[in-house]
Amino acid sequence: MVDALGEIHRVLAPGGILVDARPDSRVPAYAERRTPRGSQRFGVLKTNRLELANDRMSDRAIARVVRDGLFKWRRRGRFWHRMPFSSLAELRKYLSEHLRFVHRPEWVVDAPTRRRHANDQFVIRRAVRYELLEPLRRPRYITPTRPG
Amino acid sequence: MRAVATNLAGDVGRNVPAVSSALRPLPHVELREWGGPALVRGKRVLDLGCGDGRLALGVALLATRVDGIDPDPDAIAASKRNARKAGVRNVRFATGAAQHLPYPDASFDLVILSWTL
Repeated sequence: MVDALGEIHRVLAPGGILVDARPDSRVPAYAERRTPRGSQRFGVLKTNRLELANDRMSDRAIARVVRDGLFKWRRRGRFWHRMPFSSLAELRKYLSEHLRFVHRPEWVVDAPTRRRHANDQFVIRRAVRYELLEPLRRPRYITPTRPG
Repeated sequence: MRAVATNLAGDVGRNVPAVSSALRPLPHVELREWGGPALVRGKRVLDLGCGDGRLALGVALLATRVDGIDPDPDAIAASKRNARKAGVRNVRFATGAAQHLPYPDASFDLVILSWTL
Protein backbone atom coordinates (compact mmCIF):
# COMPACT_ATOMS: atom_id res chain seq x y z
CA MET A 1 0.00 0.00 0.00
CA VAL A 2 2.83 2.36 0.85
CA ASP A 3 4.41 1.50 -2.54
CA ALA A 4 1.16 2.40 -4.27
CA LEU A 5 0.97 5.68 -2.34
CA GLY A 6 4.56 6.42 -3.41
CA GLU A 7 3.54 5.90 -7.05
CA ILE A 8 0.53 8.16 -6.56
CA HIS A 9 2.86 10.81 -5.17
CA ARG A 10 4.98 10.49 -8.29
CA VAL A 11 2.12 10.90 -10.79
CA LEU A 12 0.45 13.76 -8.89
CA ALA A 13 1.28 17.24 -10.14
CA PRO A 14 2.31 19.89 -7.60
CA GLY A 15 -0.83 21.20 -5.93
CA GLY A 16 -2.72 18.01 -6.84
CA ILE A 17 -4.99 16.10 -4.52
CA LEU A 18 -5.34 12.47 -3.51
CA VAL A 19 -8.81 11.37 -2.40
CA ASP A 20 -9.03 8.17 -0.37
CA ALA A 21 -12.59 7.05 0.36
CA ARG A 22 -13.76 3.76 1.81
CA PRO A 23 -16.30 2.24 4.19
CA ASP A 24 -15.62 3.22 7.78
CA SER A 25 -15.38 -0.07 9.61
CA ARG A 26 -14.88 1.71 12.94
CA VAL A 27 -18.56 2.56 12.82
CA PRO A 28 -21.20 -0.19 12.70
CA ALA A 29 -23.61 -0.38 9.78
CA TYR A 30 -27.35 -0.61 10.41
CA ALA A 31 -30.18 -2.52 8.80
CA GLU A 32 -33.34 -0.44 8.72
CA ARG A 33 -36.89 -0.63 7.44
CA ARG A 34 -38.40 2.46 5.92
CA THR A 35 -41.71 3.40 7.52
CA PRO A 36 -44.06 6.30 6.78
CA ARG A 37 -42.71 8.02 9.88
CA GLY A 38 -39.02 7.46 9.18
CA SER A 39 -36.76 4.47 9.65
CA GLN A 40 -36.96 1.57 12.05
CA ARG A 41 -33.58 0.04 12.89
CA PHE A 42 -33.73 -3.72 13.29
CA GLY A 43 -30.13 -4.82 13.23
CA VAL A 44 -26.49 -3.92 13.51
CA LEU A 45 -23.91 -5.18 11.00
CA LYS A 46 -20.36 -5.58 12.17
CA THR A 47 -17.36 -5.89 9.90
CA ASN A 48 -15.48 -9.20 9.87
CA ARG A 49 -12.01 -9.40 11.39
CA LEU A 50 -10.14 -9.80 8.12
CA GLU A 51 -11.72 -6.68 6.66
CA LEU A 52 -11.09 -4.81 9.91
CA ALA A 53 -7.42 -5.78 9.71
CA ASN A 54 -7.27 -4.65 6.06
CA ASP A 55 -8.85 -1.34 6.96
CA ARG A 56 -6.36 -0.81 9.79
CA MET A 57 -3.50 -1.58 7.38
CA SER A 58 -4.84 1.07 5.01
CA ASP A 59 -5.11 3.56 7.88
CA ARG A 60 -1.54 2.81 8.88
CA ALA A 61 -0.30 3.19 5.28
CA ILE A 62 -1.92 6.64 5.02
CA ALA A 63 -0.57 7.64 8.43
CA ARG A 64 2.89 6.52 7.43
CA VAL A 65 3.09 8.51 4.19
CA VAL A 66 1.88 11.56 6.11
CA ARG A 67 4.50 10.93 8.79
CA ASP A 68 7.16 10.51 6.10
CA GLY A 69 6.20 13.83 4.58
CA LEU A 70 4.97 12.49 1.24
CA PHE A 71 1.51 13.91 1.84
CA LYS A 72 -0.27 16.22 4.21
CA TRP A 73 -3.92 16.08 5.20
CA ARG A 74 -6.11 18.74 3.68
CA ARG A 75 -9.52 17.57 4.88
CA ARG A 76 -11.17 14.53 6.38
CA GLY A 77 -14.79 13.60 6.88
CA ARG A 78 -17.47 10.96 7.00
CA PHE A 79 -20.93 10.59 5.55
CA TRP A 80 -23.74 8.05 5.71
CA HIS A 81 -24.47 5.96 2.65
CA ARG A 82 -27.87 4.29 2.37
CA MET A 83 -28.16 1.16 0.21
CA PRO A 84 -31.83 0.61 -0.63
CA PHE A 85 -33.43 -2.78 -1.23
CA SER A 86 -36.86 -3.34 -2.63
CA SER A 87 -37.71 -6.11 -0.18
CA LEU A 88 -36.46 -8.01 2.83
CA ALA A 89 -35.51 -10.90 0.51
CA GLU A 90 -33.24 -8.59 -1.53
CA LEU A 91 -31.52 -7.36 1.61
CA ARG A 92 -30.98 -10.92 2.83
CA LYS A 93 -29.60 -11.95 -0.56
CA TYR A 94 -27.16 -9.09 -0.47
CA LEU A 95 -25.97 -9.99 3.02
CA SER A 96 -25.56 -13.65 2.13
CA GLU A 97 -23.24 -12.67 -0.74
CA HIS A 98 -21.46 -9.84 1.01
CA LEU A 99 -18.71 -11.32 3.15
CA ARG A 100 -17.58 -8.06 4.68
CA PHE A 101 -20.29 -8.14 7.32
CA VAL A 102 -20.79 -10.48 10.25
CA HIS A 103 -23.60 -10.58 12.83
CA ARG A 104 -26.29 -10.69 10.18
CA PRO A 105 -29.43 -9.03 11.48
CA GLU A 106 -32.73 -10.87 11.69
CA TRP A 107 -35.91 -8.92 11.84
CA VAL A 108 -37.53 -10.45 14.91
CA VAL A 109 -41.26 -10.16 14.37
CA ASP A 110 -44.03 -12.70 13.95
CA ALA A 111 -44.57 -14.30 10.53
CA PRO A 112 -47.77 -12.36 9.62
CA THR A 113 -46.01 -9.04 10.33
CA ARG A 114 -42.99 -10.07 8.28
CA ARG A 115 -45.24 -11.11 5.40
CA ARG A 116 -47.21 -7.87 5.62
CA HIS A 117 -44.05 -5.78 5.39
CA ALA A 118 -41.94 -8.05 3.16
CA ASN A 119 -42.14 -5.60 0.27
CA ASP A 120 -41.40 -2.47 2.27
CA GLN A 121 -38.20 -0.69 1.45
CA PHE A 122 -35.25 -1.89 3.47
CA VAL A 123 -31.98 -0.06 3.80
CA ILE A 124 -28.44 -0.75 4.94
CA ARG A 125 -26.94 2.43 6.30
CA ARG A 126 -23.17 2.48 6.51
CA ALA A 127 -20.54 5.11 7.19
CA VAL A 128 -18.09 6.13 4.47
CA ARG A 129 -14.94 8.00 5.41
CA TYR A 130 -12.82 10.10 3.13
CA GLU A 131 -9.54 11.93 3.29
CA LEU A 132 -8.13 14.56 0.95
CA LEU A 133 -4.34 14.64 0.91
CA GLU A 134 -1.89 16.98 -0.77
CA PRO A 135 1.48 15.79 -2.02
CA LEU A 136 4.54 17.41 -0.53
CA ARG A 137 7.58 17.75 -2.73
CA ARG A 138 10.30 16.95 -0.23
CA PRO A 139 9.71 13.87 1.89
CA ARG A 140 11.06 14.45 5.40
CA TYR A 141 11.97 10.84 6.05
CA ILE A 142 11.12 7.51 4.47
CA THR A 143 10.34 4.84 7.04
CA PRO A 144 12.12 1.62 6.09
CA THR A 145 9.71 -1.13 5.03
CA ARG A 146 9.52 -4.03 7.46
CA PRO A 147 10.73 -7.33 6.03
CA GLY A 148 7.96 -9.78 5.21
CA MET B 1 -23.21 13.79 -14.82
CA ARG B 2 -26.20 12.71 -12.81
CA ALA B 3 -27.82 11.14 -15.85
CA VAL B 4 -24.73 9.07 -16.61
CA ALA B 5 -24.31 8.04 -13.02
CA THR B 6 -27.92 7.08 -12.59
CA ASN B 7 -27.87 5.11 -15.82
CA LEU B 8 -24.79 3.18 -14.72
CA ALA B 9 -26.03 2.61 -11.24
CA GLY B 10 -29.30 1.13 -12.40
CA ASP B 11 -32.52 1.78 -10.64
CA VAL B 12 -30.92 2.85 -7.38
CA GLY B 13 -33.44 3.88 -4.81
CA ARG B 14 -36.00 1.28 -5.67
CA ASN B 15 -34.46 -2.02 -6.64
CA VAL B 16 -30.79 -2.87 -6.92
CA PRO B 17 -29.01 -6.10 -7.81
CA ALA B 18 -27.37 -7.92 -4.93
CA VAL B 19 -23.75 -7.67 -6.05
CA SER B 20 -22.82 -4.54 -7.91
CA SER B 21 -20.86 -1.33 -7.66
CA ALA B 22 -24.32 0.22 -7.83
CA LEU B 23 -24.46 -0.40 -4.10
CA ARG B 24 -21.80 2.24 -3.57
CA PRO B 25 -22.65 5.91 -3.34
CA LEU B 26 -23.44 7.58 -6.66
CA PRO B 27 -20.51 9.54 -8.13
CA HIS B 28 -22.20 12.90 -7.63
CA VAL B 29 -22.93 12.04 -4.00
CA GLU B 30 -19.31 11.12 -3.32
CA LEU B 31 -18.08 14.18 -5.15
CA ARG B 32 -20.41 16.46 -3.19
CA GLU B 33 -19.06 15.08 0.08
CA TRP B 34 -15.42 15.47 -0.99
CA GLY B 35 -15.83 19.12 -1.90
CA GLY B 36 -18.09 19.42 -4.93
CA PRO B 37 -17.55 19.64 -8.70
CA ALA B 38 -14.73 22.20 -8.31
CA LEU B 39 -12.52 19.38 -7.13
CA VAL B 40 -12.74 17.76 -10.58
CA ARG B 41 -13.63 20.56 -13.01
CA GLY B 42 -10.94 21.03 -15.66
CA LYS B 43 -8.62 18.53 -13.97
CA ARG B 44 -6.70 15.49 -15.18
CA VAL B 45 -8.08 12.68 -13.05
CA LEU B 46 -6.81 9.20 -12.29
CA ASP B 47 -9.29 6.69 -10.85
CA LEU B 48 -7.16 4.01 -9.26
CA GLY B 49 -8.98 0.70 -8.88
CA CYS B 50 -11.69 1.95 -11.20
CA GLY B 51 -13.59 -1.36 -11.41
CA ASP B 52 -16.40 -1.07 -13.95
CA GLY B 53 -15.76 2.66 -14.35
CA ARG B 54 -18.61 3.81 -12.12
CA LEU B 55 -16.78 6.81 -10.68
CA ALA B 56 -14.49 7.55 -13.66
CA LEU B 57 -17.49 7.88 -15.96
CA GLY B 58 -19.40 9.81 -13.32
CA VAL B 59 -16.77 12.56 -13.13
CA ALA B 60 -15.78 12.52 -16.82
CA LEU B 61 -18.19 15.27 -17.86
CA LEU B 62 -16.47 17.68 -15.49
CA ALA B 63 -12.86 16.64 -15.95
CA THR B 64 -10.53 17.39 -18.84
CA ARG B 65 -9.41 13.79 -19.00
CA VAL B 66 -9.96 10.72 -16.86
CA ASP B 67 -7.77 7.64 -16.73
CA GLY B 68 -9.01 4.52 -15.00
CA ILE B 69 -6.74 1.66 -14.03
CA ASP B 70 -7.59 -1.67 -12.43
CA PRO B 71 -5.75 -4.99 -12.11
CA ASP B 72 -8.85 -6.95 -13.18
CA PRO B 73 -9.07 -7.28 -17.01
CA ASP B 74 -12.77 -8.22 -16.81
CA ALA B 75 -13.51 -5.03 -14.90
CA ILE B 76 -11.60 -3.00 -17.49
CA ALA B 77 -13.55 -4.68 -20.30
CA ALA B 78 -16.77 -3.77 -18.48
CA SER B 79 -15.61 -0.17 -17.96
CA LYS B 80 -14.84 0.18 -21.68
CA ARG B 81 -18.29 -1.18 -22.52
CA ASN B 82 -19.87 1.26 -20.07
CA ALA B 83 -17.90 4.17 -21.58
CA ARG B 84 -19.08 3.27 -25.09
CA LYS B 85 -22.65 2.93 -23.83
CA ALA B 86 -22.50 6.31 -22.10
CA GLY B 87 -20.81 7.97 -25.10
CA VAL B 88 -18.00 9.35 -22.94
CA ARG B 89 -14.89 10.13 -24.97
CA ASN B 90 -12.40 11.68 -22.55
CA VAL B 91 -11.90 8.50 -20.53
CA ARG B 92 -9.24 5.83 -21.03
CA PHE B 93 -9.13 2.55 -19.19
CA ALA B 94 -6.15 0.27 -18.75
CA THR B 95 -5.23 -2.86 -16.85
CA GLY B 96 -2.46 -2.34 -14.35
CA ALA B 97 -1.30 -2.34 -10.76
CA ALA B 98 -1.12 0.66 -8.45
CA GLN B 99 2.47 -0.18 -7.53
CA HIS B 100 3.67 0.44 -11.13
CA LEU B 101 1.59 3.15 -12.73
CA PRO B 102 2.22 3.48 -16.48
CA TYR B 103 2.09 7.29 -16.43
CA PRO B 104 4.79 9.97 -16.46
CA ASP B 105 5.59 12.04 -13.38
CA ALA B 106 3.17 14.81 -12.40
CA SER B 107 0.59 13.80 -15.01
CA PHE B 108 -2.55 14.12 -12.84
CA ASP B 109 -4.19 16.84 -10.77
CA LEU B 110 -6.44 14.46 -8.88
CA VAL B 111 -6.02 10.81 -7.95
CA ILE B 112 -9.04 9.00 -6.57
CA LEU B 113 -8.91 5.86 -4.46
CA SER B 114 -12.57 5.11 -4.03
CA TRP B 115 -13.18 1.92 -2.02
CA THR B 116 -9.78 0.72 -3.21
CA LEU B 117 -7.09 1.03 -0.54
